Amino acid sequence: MTVAAGIGYALVALGPSLSLFVSVISRKPFLILTVLSSTLLWLVSLIILSGLWRPFLPLKANVWWPYALLVLSSVCFQEGLRFLFWKVYKRLEDVLDSFADRISRPRLFLTDKLQIALAGGLGHGVAHAVFFCLSLLTPAFGPATFYVDRCSKVPFFLVSAIIALAFVTIHTFSMVIAFEGYAKGNKVDQGIVPVIHLAAGMLTLVNFASEGCVIGVPLLYLVASVTLLHCGKMVWQRLKESRNQSDPSR
Amino acid sequence: MYVAVDGYPCVRLLNLSGEIGCANPGLNKVVAPIIKLKDVKDLVQPHTILVTADEMEGFFSRVSNDLSFASQIGGVLVESGSSFQQKFKGLSPDKMFPQAQFSPYENVEYKWNPAASSIMWKAYNFPVYLLSESGILAVQQILSKKEMKHKTYTSNVAEFNMVMETTKAGTHNSEACLQEGTCLPLGGYSVWSSLPPINVSSSNNRKPVVLTVASMDSASFFRDKSFGADSPISGMVALLGAVDALSRVDGFSNLKKQLIFLVLTGETWGYLGSRRFIHELDLHSEAVAGLSDTPIETVLEIGSVGKGLSGGMNTFFAHKTRVSSITNMTLDALKIAQDSLASKNIKILSADTTNPGIPPSSLMAFMKKNPQTSAVVLEDFDAKFVNKFYHSHLDDLSNINSSSVVAAASVVARTLYILANDSKDTSNSALGSIHVNASFVEELLACLLSCEPGLSCNLVKDYISPTNTCPGNYAGVILGEPSSKPYLGYVSDVSRFLWNLLADKTSVQKRNTASVCSKGACSKSDEVCIKAESNKEGTCVVSTTRYVPAYSTRLKYDDGAWTILPQNTSDSMGMVDPVWTESNWNTIRVHVYTVQHSVYDNAVLVAGITVTTLAYIGILVAKSFITKILKQD
Repeated sequence: MTVAAGIGYALVALGPSLSLFVSVISRKPFLILTVLSSTLLWLVSLIILSGLWRPFLPLKANVWWPYALLVLSSVCFQEGLRFLFWKVYKRLEDVLDSFADRISRPRLFLTDKLQIALAGGLGHGVAHAVFFCLSLLTPAFGPATFYVDRCSKVPFFLVSAIIALAFVTIHTFSMVIAFEGYAKGNKVDQGIVPVIHLAAGMLTLVNFASEGCVIGVPLLYLVASVTLLHCGKMVWQRLKESRNQSDPSR
Repeated sequence: MYVAVDGYPCVRLLNLSGEIGCANPGLNKVVAPIIKLKDVKDLVQPHTILVTADEMEGFFSRVSNDLSFASQIGGVLVESGSSFQQKFKGLSPDKMFPQAQFSPYENVEYKWNPAASSIMWKAYNFPVYLLSESGILAVQQILSKKEMKHKTYTSNVAEFNMVMETTKAGTHNSEACLQEGTCLPLGGYSVWSSLPPINVSSSNNRKPVVLTVASMDSASFFRDKSFGADSPISGMVALLGAVDALSRVDGFSNLKKQLIFLVLTGETWGYLGSRRFIHELDLHSEAVAGLSDTPIETVLEIGSVGKGLSGGMNTFFAHKTRVSSITNMTLDALKIAQDSLASKNIKILSADTTNPGIPPSSLMAFMKKNPQTSAVVLEDFDAKFVNKFYHSHLDDLSNINSSSVVAAASVVARTLYILANDSKDTSNSALGSIHVNASFVEELLACLLSCEPGLSCNLVKDYISPTNTCPGNYAGVILGEPSSKPYLGYVSDVSRFLWNLLADKTSVQKRNTASVCSKGACSKSDEVCIKAESNKEGTCVVSTTRYVPAYSTRLKYDDGAWTILPQNTSDSMGMVDPVWTESNWNTIRVHVYTVQHSVYDNAVLVAGITVTTLAYIGILVAKSFITKILKQD
C-alpha cells in the first residue's frame, strides 16, 4: 500500500467527521471546545476500562464470550459517562441561560443545543475512530497490505475504516438523541441509545466467525442508518414543535 | 504484515580482477513479486523467482547465457532441504577442478568434481537467498493465502535488503575496495598443536616432525550455509578423534618423531591457511615458534573421509605427492594400521596411478613450496569426488556416515603412532591400545555440522562460549591486525574451540600443578590457559598450541588498513592468488508481504474523497433545510 491508500482509508473513516467539523463545528469556538472535551472524556473512559480489564488480558482469540462481556461492560460504563456528560452540560446550560437573562440576551436556541449535542457526539465518534482505526492505519502508509483470515476478501484496513465510519455515525447522532431524551425526559430516546450502542458493539463480534464481516458490517450499517433516521426524525419533530411554540399566533 | 524470512544470503566477494556472488544491483531495496520458476513465461517486469534446489544449476546457467532472462530477475529465493539430497544426482557450485591454478601439475582440465556447475564463481546482479525451513514455511504460507482467494488486485512480493558497501562505493575489485575500506580480506585463524608439547626455550633434542593436516573451512553458494560435512569437516573430525585417541597413550616423549596437528582455515579461498603457515615458517615468526627450525619429514593430510562406507566396508584412498621412501613409509604405516584394525572392515588403497596427481588439497600448497615434499592425503575417493555435493549447502550431516569418520580416525591414530615410533616392529599391544572414542566423534559431528544442538552442545560449551549456535564453516573475514595472539573476539567459534580442545588433549598432565589462570594468562611460558571462556577462571595446562593467522600472502596490514603487495616471483602461489575479499554490508534482510495494485490504492483514495464530499454535501443540504424550516417561523 501507499500514501494514497493510507489517506483513502483515513478519509473513509474520518472524512464525514471532517466535513461536519469544517461546515458546522469550526465556526463556533464553543463547539470546538465541546468536541475536544468530549474526545478527552471518551479517551479517559477507555483508559479506565483498559485498567479494569488489564488483569484478564490477553483474552483467548477463539472464545467469544469474554469479548461480549468486555463490550457489555464498556457500553455500560460509557453510557454512565454519557449521563454524567449530560449533567455537566445541563449545569452549564443553566448557568449560560441565567447569565443571558441577566444581561438581557436571548437564551440558547434549540439549534444551539442540538449543535452542542452533535459536537459532543462527534467528539466520542472521532475518539473511537482515532483509537480503533487511525492508530492501526500507520503501517498502511507503507508498501504492504494485510488480510486477516477471518475476513479474507477485504483488506483489514478497509474493514476497520468502514467499521470506524459506522461507529462515528452512531456515536455522533446517539448523543443528539440522548441529550434530547434527557432534556425531554423521553424514556424511549433515553433507552434506545444504550441499546444501539450495545447492539453495534455486539455486532462487531460477528467478525469472529469466518467471513463474518460479510454479514457483520452490513448489519452494523443498518444500526447506523437506524440511528441516523431516528435522529433525523426526532430533530424534525423538535424543530416543528419549536416553531409552533415560537409562533403564538397559530 | 511484513514477514521476516529466515535464511542464508549469497554475498558479494571480490578478487583482483572482479566480483563473484550476489548483491542488490543498486543502493535501494529490491521489491519484486514472487513467481515460481515453472510459472515463468514472458515476464514484463522484474520478478522474485522461487527456485528449488534441483532447479538451481539449470536456472543459474540460463541466467548466465540469456541476458534478457537475467534482466527480468529482481531476486531469487531458493527452496531447499535435506529431501533434495536423495532427489537428484548432484549439486556442486564449484569447478571441475577446484582451485586448479594452485595445482602442482599441468593437467588442470582433469575432472575431480564431476557434479561441478561453477555457478558460485560468477557474479549475479541480483540478490539470492536460500530459505531456511522456517523461511520456506513463511513464503509458502503467503503464497497459499493468495492462491486460496484468487485475489486479482494483489500480489505477493519479496523485499531484499542486500546492499553491499562495494556497490555503494563503486569499488569492483579487491584492490579498489581494500583501498576504500569497503571490504575485508577472507581469512581467519588456523590452529596447530604438538604432541607432546615442545620446549620452545631449548633447541636441543628437536625431533623430525610428522605433520597431520586437516581443514576447517568450507564454501558454498550461500555464505552461512557451508557445513562442508564431507569436505572437509569429516577430515577435521577424524583428526580430532585421532588426537583424542593418542592423548590417552602414554610415553609420547620417548618416541622418535614429533607429532604436529594443524587445522587450517581459508583453504577454500586460495589455500590461505597452508600458504600463510608455510610463510610463517619461513619467517620464523612467533606463531610457529618451536617448529620453524625443525624439518618437516612427512605430511599426512586427512581430506574428505565421510563417505568411505560402501557395502559394509570403509575404503579410503591414499594419494601421495611422489614416490619416495618416506611416502612409502607412510603408506606402509597405513597398511599396518589397517591390518591392526582387521575387525573394523577398513581398507586403505593406494590411489590410481593414472590420476594426474594429488586431488585438490592443502598439500598443493606444500608441493608448490617444495616439490620434494613427501606427503600423503587420505580421501574417500580415488579418481573423482564421491561427494556429489562438494561445496554445496547440501553437504551436511546427512551426507556423511559417522562410522566412516570413526574408521578414518582409527587408521590415522594408529598410523601416526607407527610413524612417530619410526619402527615397523611396533608392538601389537601398544597399537591395539589406541582406540578412537566413537561417541566423541559422533558428538563432534553433531556439534560442528548441525544447528541443533550445534555449537551449543556440551562439548563445545565446555571449552568456549559460542557466539552462534549454527556453525557456518565459512572462512569469514579477518578482523583487526592478524597476530599469533589475536583478540579472541575476532577469532571464529570453531577456531577457538579447536584451540582449546587441542590444547587440552595434547597437554601434559602434571599432577599437583594444574592451576587456575589469572586474567586468562598463565605464569609459565610453556603453559596455556584453556576453558577461560566457559568457566570464570580457566585452567593452565602445559601445551604447545597456537593460532596462526590465515590470510593471503599478497596482503599486508598496516596502520589499520590492508594493502596489496606487488607480485613476487619467489611466491609462485601468490602469483596466481586471486586475493579474495568480502564486501562489507550493513544488514541483510528479506521480507515477504502482500501489496495491492496501484489501481486499487487509487480507488481507495477516490472512495475516501467521495465519502467526504458526499458527507459535506449532505451536511450542507441538511443545514439549509433546517435553516429553511426555522426561517418559516
